[in-house]
Amino acid sequence: MKFGGSSVADAEKIRRCADVVRAQQEKHQVVTVVSAMGGVTDLLLELAEAAGSGNRSVKYTLLAEIRRRHEEAAAELGVMEKVEPLLANLETLVAGIVAVGELTPRSRDAVVSHGEQLSAILTAAALDGRAMTGQEVGIVTNDQHGEAEPLMNLSLYQIHENLEPLMANGERIVVTGFLGATQHGVISTIGRGGSDYTATLLGAALKADEIWICSDVDGLMTADPRNVPGAQLLDQITFAESIEMGQFGAKSMHPRALEPSAEHKIPVRVRSSFNTDCPGTLITETAPTTATMRSVLLLKNVALINVAGAAMVGRPGTAAKVFAALAEAEVNVQMISQTVSEAGISLVVAESQLPRARAVLEGQLLRTNAAKRVEVDEHVAVVAAVGSGMRGSVGVAARIFGALSDASINIEAIAQGSSELSVCLVVKGDDGPGAVRAIHDAFGLGGA
Amino acid sequence: MRIFVVGYGVVARSFIDLLEAQQSVLYQQQGLSPRLVGVCDSTGAAVSERGLSADELRAAKESTGTVAGVAGHGVRTVDAAQLIAECDADIVVEASPSQMSTPGRSIENLKAAFRTGKHAISVNKAPLAAAMPAMLELAEFNGVQFRFSGTVGGGTPVLNVARECARGDEVTMVRGIFNGTTNFILWKMHSEGLDFDTVLKEAIDLGYAETDPSADIDGVDAATKVVILANYVLGRPATIGDVKVEGIRGLPRERIEEAAQRGNHLKLIGEIGEALSVAPQEVPIGDPLDVPASLNAITLSLKASSDITLIGRGAGGIETATSVMRDLLDIWNVIGGRS
Ligand SMILES: NC(=O)c1ccc[n+]([C@@H]2O[C@H](COP(=O)([O-])OP(=O)(O)OC[C@H]3O[C@@H](n4cnc5c(N)ncnc54)[C@H](OP(=O)(O)O)[C@@H]3O)[C@@H](O)[C@H]2O)c1
Repeated sequence: MKFGGSSVADAEKIRRCADVVRAQQEKHQVVTVVSAMGGVTDLLLELAEAAGSGNRSVKYTLLAEIRRRHEEAAAELGVMEKVEPLLANLETLVAGIVAVGELTPRSRDAVVSHGEQLSAILTAAALDGRAMTGQEVGIVTNDQHGEAEPLMNLSLYQIHENLEPLMANGERIVVTGFLGATQHGVISTIGRGGSDYTATLLGAALKADEIWICSDVDGLMTADPRNVPGAQLLDQITFAESIEMGQFGAKSMHPRALEPSAEHKIPVRVRSSFNTDCPGTLITETAPTTATMRSVLLLKNVALINVAGAAMVGRPGTAAKVFAALAEAEVNVQMISQTVSEAGISLVVAESQLPRARAVLEGQLLRTNAAKRVEVDEHVAVVAAVGSGMRGSVGVAARIFGALSDASINIEAIAQGSSELSVCLVVKGDDGPGAVRAIHDAFGLGGA
Repeated sequence: MRIFVVGYGVVARSFIDLLEAQQSVLYQQQGLSPRLVGVCDSTGAAVSERGLSADELRAAKESTGTVAGVAGHGVRTVDAAQLIAECDADIVVEASPSQMSTPGRSIENLKAAFRTGKHAISVNKAPLAAAMPAMLELAEFNGVQFRFSGTVGGGTPVLNVARECARGDEVTMVRGIFNGTTNFILWKMHSEGLDFDTVLKEAIDLGYAETDPSADIDGVDAATKVVILANYVLGRPATIGDVKVEGIRGLPRERIEEAAQRGNHLKLIGEIGEALSVAPQEVPIGDPLDVPASLNAITLSLKASSDITLIGRGAGGIETATSVMRDLLDIWNVIGGRS
């Protein structure tokens, strides 16, 4: 069971998490993984940056805030003596960074790691269990600090070796999420997917029956309920669908975090920490397909770029030039699409990356006459319909178009998702929420 | 090339002798001048920058019971992993006992070697049985070579031949007799009509079987070789837990007699097909796998070509030492050799 930061935000919540774990331990063997207390990772990052630029005052206010939150919780849970050394260690570390005046990725990881180390100690106290770091359980990573990649086979083997005997002894183990260590024993953080990734790694190593990702949401939904009031909780979906939903920013799991569980076929349950009556969403290798479509997602704050012009026709290599230019400018192309109206290449990028993308495309393509025009539509939204049931099912596109035309929504472009599991449409930014509702309704995702 | 050897038993000594005996040939033909910079046994170690000789090691072991008795170079420690990490070797040879139920110690030795950029040769089967995918991964991550040809077939180059067969074709199935002790027992039971316990006792007396023969007769040793072949030849990331194992402990003589009536011999067969398994199976008399005494045999079934069978002795200290030597030369060639 993994608990997100908001679930372990203070002593009271930590106690409730411990109760939830204890209840499950009546029937199951449980290993717990925790994130840092809500907001603490951001504070630590800010602290690290401030220390790196020699900013002493921010350092003190931030440190004091971090200290206050953990000391309060520690006092309530009665583990002051275990928390103090870690806080003192953090202070020394920060003082060292200030003195050197330079923040390395390695020292940033060392600072940030305190969040999970502290929350694991607090949770272990509430659970009367044993706190262990990612390093202690055996997670070994490469030395890409901040975005470290676990050495998968070695980590799986070591986790198994280290945890099995403790579990056989009936120990209640609480593991820091997000953390590993290099083979030389230097603490590293595993970046994207964070604590969820730790949980799936542990689940795969221990051949768990299920991996539970507990947070403040009930599970995965057919759509964002703030936009679609009738949105329903999804009972069960496949790994592939969940990964696809993650690509479109669903409040689900990071695709990378699902890799170990998908590979070892261990079901993942996304559920609420405290609303324990709700079973959440089960993610499995295969799931019964009752609906054509699972979920409709909305990607906001994106822009559409259309590279067009006669020169492109019969000129092989233009597309390659477009992508090379964007890659050089480190623009992340979120989607490639075909415009309905006109020949050319259309791309969807984050609004924040638009100026860079535009500049590099204009500079490299217009000047050389490789393309005639670079047109930009700044305010668009991508609507993504995800579901493996759409594969090979006829008339899906027609139904989507029908639903949108009934709602008087104009489709600017149809985009190809990264697999057959999704259909993506680009619409005017203001039309986004309405388009989601229209498709959601048309496919009856809101239930009977 | 500086070498550190973990273990000073039959295999290690044979290898060290071979190194000395081949010294000039290795230099003339391969440009290789190996130097033994450290050896450890269960209670201590001898470490020397300038190199250790076979004679001084043997003398120290005989007179003091440990290689740590080498005058001026002895280290009284049992922490092999630390020695490995701190020594100045280029290659570590792991030749300590294959402790199947506690592989952790030898795994730490290999990790220490890889982490500090040293190549490794293992004749120790335990780390491979328990964690071969992890060991291969760590070696690759650190850009070092890892060889273990002595673990399967002793001196018979089973792994290299098997891999050679797989080149340009596809190995669809591997079946073999991977344990000499059990083959000896089954063969004797059949040819002399004796029962299991009698033959086992004889095998122990003859030195064919260990005083604790569990790893052999319970099929664990054969399963280990199945794991190594599956990883190395077929690229399947398996460990011993993935092998379905049935040994021959207490096998009733009737099973052998029944097999004979059907024109078969009962053999302990390791198999890599859809699944990985070790179990007593009947083999037609005269089949390439129908090998006598303590011989080992392996049959590779190939997709395009026909079956290939390799037969040879599966163990022996000197034989196994030659496989370590081959591994050493392999590594020497991969890392640039004569340059
Ligand atoms: N012999 C073969 O035919 C054959 C074939 C293939 C593979 N192998 C494998 O090769 C390895 C060595 O076999 P062997 O026949 O040479 O065995 P051996 O004669 O029993 O020798 C084992 C050696 O390892 C040492 N040792 C024990 N524990 C140790 C520790 N914790 N750290 C360092 N050294 C330790 C022993 O020290 P002491 O001298 O102090 O007792 C001894 O010198 C085994 O893993 C075996 O499975 C052997």
